[in-house]
Amino acid sequence: MQHGSGEVRGSMATSASAQMALHDDHGSQQIQNPGLHDDFFDQMLSGLPSAWPELGNPKSPWDASAAQKLFRIDLTGKPPDESQPEAATEGLRYASYDEATMLASRLPQSQGSGGSSPTGEAMMLQLNNRHILPVVVPLQAAVGGGVGESGLLPLPLTLGSGGAADPRIIVETPRDEMDGPYKSPDQNGGEELYSGLGGSIRAAQAATGQHFHHPQNHGGAAAPAGVGQGPAASASSGGGAPQQKQKVRARRGQATDPHSIAERLRRERIAERMKALQELVPNANKTDKASMLDEIIDYLKFLQLQVKVLSMSRLGGAAAVAPLVADISTEGAGARAGGDGAAVGNNDSLTATEHRVAKMMEEDMGSAMQYLQGKGLCLMPISLASAISSAACRPSAGGLVSAPPPPATSAAAAAESPSSSPSASALTVQSAAAADTTAPKR
Amino acid sequence: MEPKSCSGDGNPSRNLHPSKPLMAANFLRCLSRIQQTATNSSVGSRSRRIRRAAYASMAYSAGHRRAWSWALLRKLRCRRVRPVILPRRPRIARPQVVIEIDRAEVLRKLVPGGTGMDYCRLLEETADYIRCLATQVRLMQTVTDSISS
Repeated sequence: MQHGSGEVRGSMATSASAQMALHDDHGSQQIQNPGLHDDFFDQMLSGLPSAWPELGNPKSPWDASAAQKLFRIDLTGKPPDESQPEAATEGLRYASYDEATMLASRLPQSQGSGGSSPTGEAMMLQLNNRHILPVVVPLQAAVGGGVGESGLLPLPLTLGSGGAADPRIIVETPRDEMDGPYKSPDQNGGEELYSGLGGSIRAAQAATGQHFHHPQNHGGAAAPAGVGQGPAASASSGGGAPQQKQKVRARRGQATDPHSIAERLRRERIAERMKALQELVPNANKTDKASMLDEIIDYLKFLQLQVKVLSMSRLGGAAAVAPLVADISTEGAGARAGGDGAAVGNNDSLTATEHRVAKMMEEDMGSAMQYLQGKGLCLMPISLASAISSAACRPSAGGLVSAPPPPATSAAAAAESPSSSPSASALTVQSAAAADTTAPKR
Repeated sequence: MEPKSCSGDGNPSRNLHPSKPLMAANFLRCLSRIQQTATNSSVGSRSRRIRRAAYASMAYSAGHRRAWSWALLRKLRCRRVRPVILPRRPRIARPQVVIEIDRAEVLRKLVPGGTGMDYCRLLEETADYIRCLATQVRLMQTVTDSISS
């Protein structure tokens, strides 16, 4: 039991110092944290495995002073506050479990255990060197990420090597993706935690509110960097906090869990699509994803409403469309006949030809071209066609002559498209453009 | 599609859909066809027909590559001459249990063919659909202006 108590002390010291580091980084949050951890830890306690009876009631505010000393040794420049005993208690309660699991793994390795405090301190120092930062960072990240109980839960469980008997401690997982991490070994902890954090951040952000809001970016940046066995991933992300200890771990881009990779890819894809949508929709200055979606939905409904309204408003004018179109085909045929001298049939056949060509062009460009050539027609760019028509115009097609500038605008719009479509649409678009311009002249 | 009064700006000067000329051609063709065939119809049915023509030409121009255009074309093709009117069930005012609106579901209802897609694809289709719709609206506005002026 000496051995056990020493370990317990070691774990508690480490956890206490970890927790203190955590609290020091986020200055004003210590007051709220304990309350949060209370409920959270009660939940944890209810599910604690019986293998840790000595941790069953660590409510005794154990050796905060020793923890403080350790704390001063390890993390320089962070003087403990007056609220530390309280924090230490909470830290004990909170992180003791993960420290216990880590200790369990390290039992055979570190023989520096024993009842004596120097040995214990040595072991604690050892542990600290290895684990202080990984413990600190996710806690930081959890707190900083604005995650409530649901978010804090996953972290210690992943930190334990393998996380034995952890899953049943999880009370709630706001997202499905958080189930994965708890069954996977340590080195993937970073990825899943980040994804889990992301999920839980979104889910639980409202619940936790303002006290965790402050270092959110910091926590978010720190989370992927240092979770797991060591924060050697300072190269991978810009996490500034965990840069002291360099232990080799899987870098961020090499997360071995396929779930996390797929999740990340999916999220990136969604993000870029959202960006594309943002460019289309006006008033796209919303940073919030939900409000952006609201904006998109509103815009879509607005467009559909516009189509409906426009289709109603054209009832009076719809009567003018048919003679317009008929005239266009007449003039178009006349101009083209004058332009390229092709012997074209009557208006109806030309219109029908246009329609057929348009249909064929959608399916197969080659056959459409062949069809045109068989008819003795050719495709040309709209600018050329308008130039030709203006050059060789008829008096009846006088409207077309003065038309070139306005059709040029729509032709310009057409010319932006790939080469086939503007030339392909030369037949019909020009007539359409002419419709726009000849109408006012009526 | 329930018309919802939302404040949108006027003619948006956005990037056009690449198949705008084709859309123009199709739409005008549809219009002329409507004009030729519809001398008997009432105001409402005519507007409905024009609207359907607008969507049809839009979907037709967009091609079969797009899920939304495909779904739209299928829906329009299978439509009966007499539109089926479902009896409306009286809406019982229920207290809103859902705290958070599922916006993805709303989007799925708005975009044709959106029910069978995952979220990622849904966003993609929404972007294309919005672009096409905007182009169509501009087209119709141009035609209206040219007619009415």
